[in-house]
Amino acid sequence: MIDNLPLSANFNESPLLIQVAWIASCVLLSVIILLSIYLKIMRFHLRKKDKDNAQFKNEYEAYLIEYLYSGDTTGKINELQDSIIQKLKASVSIKSKRKIIISVLYNLMNEVSGEMSVSIKQLYYNTGLINYALKRLESKRWHIIAKGIGELTRFKIDEAHHKVSKFVNHPRSEVRKETQLYLVSLFRFEGLSFLNNLTTPLSEWAQIQLLETLQKFDDQQICDIRPWLKSTNDSVVLFALKLAQIYNQFEVQDTLMELLAHPKKQIRISAIQVLTHLYGVEAKELLKANFNDLSLEEQICFFGMLEKLVMPSDEPFVEKYLFHKNFEIQLLALKILKSINIDKYMGLSETTTTEKDSSMIKLVNTL
Amino acid sequence: MDTSTVKIILQILHYLFFGYAFLAIVSYIILSIISGKETLEYLKKNSFVHYKDILSSAMSPSITIIAPAYNESLNVVENVRSLLSNHYVNYNVIIVNDGSKDDSLEKLIEAYDLEKIDYIVNEKIKTKPLRAGVFKSKNPAFEKLMVVDKENGGKADALNMGLNISKSKYVACIDVDCLLLEDALQKMIKPFLDETNTRVIAAGGVIRIANSCIIRGGKLIDVNLPKNLLVQSQILEYLRAFLLGRMAWSRLNGLLVISGAFGIFDKEIAIAVGGYDTNTVGEDMEIIVRMRRYMEEKNEKYRVSYIPDPLCWTEAPDSYKIFISQRNRWTRGTIETLKKHRKIGFNPKYGSFGMLSYPYWLIFERLAPIIEVIGLIYFAILIVLQEVKWEYALAFLVLSYMFSVLFSIIAIYSEELTFHQYKKKGTGIKLVLLSALEPFLLHPFILYAAIRGNFDYFFNKKKKWGSMVRKGLVTV
Amino acid sequence: MKKIVLAEDNTTLSLLLKFRLEKEGYELFMAKDGKDALDLIETHEPDLIITDIMMPFISGLEVISHVRIKLDMDTPIIVFSAAGQEEMVLKAFNLGANDFMGKPFSPNELVIRVKRLLTVIPIS
Repeated sequence: MIDNLPLSANFNESPLLIQVAWIASCVLLSVIILLSIYLKIMRFHLRKKDKDNAQFKNEYEAYLIEYLYSGDTTGKINELQDSIIQKLKASVSIKSKRKIIISVLYNLMNEVSGEMSVSIKQLYYNTGLINYALKRLESKRWHIIAKGIGELTRFKIDEAHHKVSKFVNHPRSEVRKETQLYLVSLFRFEGLSFLNNLTTPLSEWAQIQLLETLQKFDDQQICDIRPWLKSTNDSVVLFALKLAQIYNQFEVQDTLMELLAHPKKQIRISAIQVLTHLYGVEAKELLKANFNDLSLEEQICFFGMLEKLVMPSDEPFVEKYLFHKNFEIQLLALKILKSINIDKYMGLSETTTTEKDSSMIKLVNTL
Repeated sequence: MDTSTVKIILQILHYLFFGYAFLAIVSYIILSIISGKETLEYLKKNSFVHYKDILSSAMSPSITIIAPAYNESLNVVENVRSLLSNHYVNYNVIIVNDGSKDDSLEKLIEAYDLEKIDYIVNEKIKTKPLRAGVFKSKNPAFEKLMVVDKENGGKADALNMGLNISKSKYVACIDVDCLLLEDALQKMIKPFLDETNTRVIAAGGVIRIANSCIIRGGKLIDVNLPKNLLVQSQILEYLRAFLLGRMAWSRLNGLLVISGAFGIFDKEIAIAVGGYDTNTVGEDMEIIVRMRRYMEEKNEKYRVSYIPDPLCWTEAPDSYKIFISQRNRWTRGTIETLKKHRKIGFNPKYGSFGMLSYPYWLIFERLAPIIEVIGLIYFAILIVLQEVKWEYALAFLVLSYMFSVLFSIIAIYSEELTFHQYKKKGTGIKLVLLSALEPFLLHPFILYAAIRGNFDYFFNKKKKWGSMVRKGLVTV
Repeated sequence: MKKIVLAEDNTTLSLLLKFRLEKEGYELFMAKDGKDALDLIETHEPDLIITDIMMPFISGLEVISHVRIKLDMDTPIIVFSAAGQEEMVLKAFNLGANDFMGKPFSPNELVIRVKRLLTVIPIS
């Protein structure tokens, strides 16, 4: 294109900077043209892949359902089932198809129970998919390992226990998390033993996933959580507090009481909440006695506890906070008074002076 | 002054402009490289995530969606419905009707079977008072919904009302006319739950343009490239800004803006800093800067996160008039925010926030239009003085044009290799042609709007203080 | 032939159930989301509705409330729910659902419940 420009006649005589600029423009232009052509090719392939994937998905779904319904009660594989296994086996070696087959199998595995999920797992073995997942564990790239562990978890492959558990201290948190989920999905509360010597923090996301996994089991027999409540790893303590609440661990109340003096505020607050849930009357008396030493958040949380565990003897204490400057404390104090001494509560509106207080009293009255 | 001094001055200016342009280009290249790395990392991390646990877990943290509405009667019922169908267990929706003069409230009451409830607002942030009050549905299927009717006070004031009422740990502030995809909350809450030793104070999402897309019953059915060239150009602009720019800034933990159309905040921090500023037109940028400043001053480790998935779709202006007034407002918002927090700029006490993000915004966003105009004036003077070296001018003009086209194409690639939303045949070539045209279709108007914004900010005080009434994107 | 509307966004599962229920001699109408489900319910007036609770756009709860309140129909309704959605199940019953199945479930068990609901004549 330079040849067509009026300046080009003396291109070779023009200053170096101009020459460089034109050469750079030409390079950029060629890159633009090449990228534009490649974009067209790439988009074509992306579209084709989308279409193929949708078609394969339908095909594999049909195979899977045929496979499941043609089985008999003995669990033996019949001819029809074997022919389906062979068809799937042929596709499994292609990465994109393998991905679709896995997602179809998993989609159903998660939703059905009993013999059907067993036969899906059987299919996972027989098509050789499991070997690809095990191979992933040997990868050098962390996200491949994590994917492999995730897949073994979803298909409940407990034979991979030894291969997977060595990743429990992997430097990437994502790999550690997948490993923890594997252990708990397959070995339930026993799988939680990794908490005993966990030094890395357990993210909130990981905690929620672990709790969800545990709650899926019918057998809810939990082990002793005291060692975790006493852990030096704060995130393990917070996790154990959640366990104490979900599994109503009345027997660990003493340990929970100790946590009320924990150096971390978040743990102290959680401990109050769990003790509220577990009707910790002793904790209530203890906190009431030390009320003024608590932080504001703990005070609010304590009033939440009082709302649930209040007794007539708490009336003098509550009365001190009816006009507290904190909205939440005031609201809760009014509510509590109303629940234990309605006459005194009704008398309040005559003694109040500010508009804010009287509207609060009116509001609590309507609740 | 003799001619030699003039010449020296011109020479200096010449090098200054050259240096500025060079720095801008270098920064673009660096940002693209960083964003490429960050995108790969994000895709790797998300290749094995199962959101299913989080969406159905009762232990997942609570989120309140706060959506301010002002005269949205036309679409409000449908929009609320789409907000109510997000796939997440522990969330609720507060619609703040900000003194609408139309029948929005009546329509909501009718459609969702609402009844007035007794409520006292805990005024942690001062706002305009309630008008008709607080409403909840009688039908348990709409239990997540709360409608708050208040006196008009502008978008920031309405959001503050929502912050006061919300009982959740996190709040998602959104424009009511946005379409939120059903997995939006699960994806946006993840960064808050993933970090263990850093507090995530806010997370922003990508804004995608919904013009010409087919939306049926609150669901995105089909993504189309609109016919209107202005809207097309904005699509390209958004791809560049979100997929290349913000992705990179998120890696550097230097994000200064979360789009007002969709962002999640840690409510405790948002309230601790006093909520949204009602005295600026750029409240979405201002609150992030203030929250960051607060964390820096408290010396706590924090992060502003960013999720590149296309989760929030909104209508973009399709006429130059509305487009210019929108950008005018953005310009004023930026000026106001940077001015209010100028203490941060070049202040090593604020770490990379003060030494990198703030200066970048000041030099390459805030001052760019002004420098460009000065450059144009300088060029005009050169023409008058017949001092223009045309062979230089032409060579560098062509080079910078090529560069901007290439940059757009890289943004298109980034889109195709990640989220691939424009699947239709023929769209690819249109996007490429658009990359070539966009510098002429959009840039002159952005420049004009920015200059108008500067002018209005400095000389038109009435507009500055008078334009607070919320005016969202116009939906036709 | 008794008609059933099945609303479920997992295509593999809905295909599996469709085959199973068709084998039992029912006519099936499949919906991918709550909106489709409501359209099918209004056009075909089925004898039974099976719906997932968590669905795109219109949730299973809204389907139930629409059928019971807006359409004023007493068609039996079975809901599917995943673990952790106990609260939603309670709401579903309050709105008028007749039965629920927690996922994962066995398709055979679903067939038994479907048969039971379709043979007992509801007392209205």
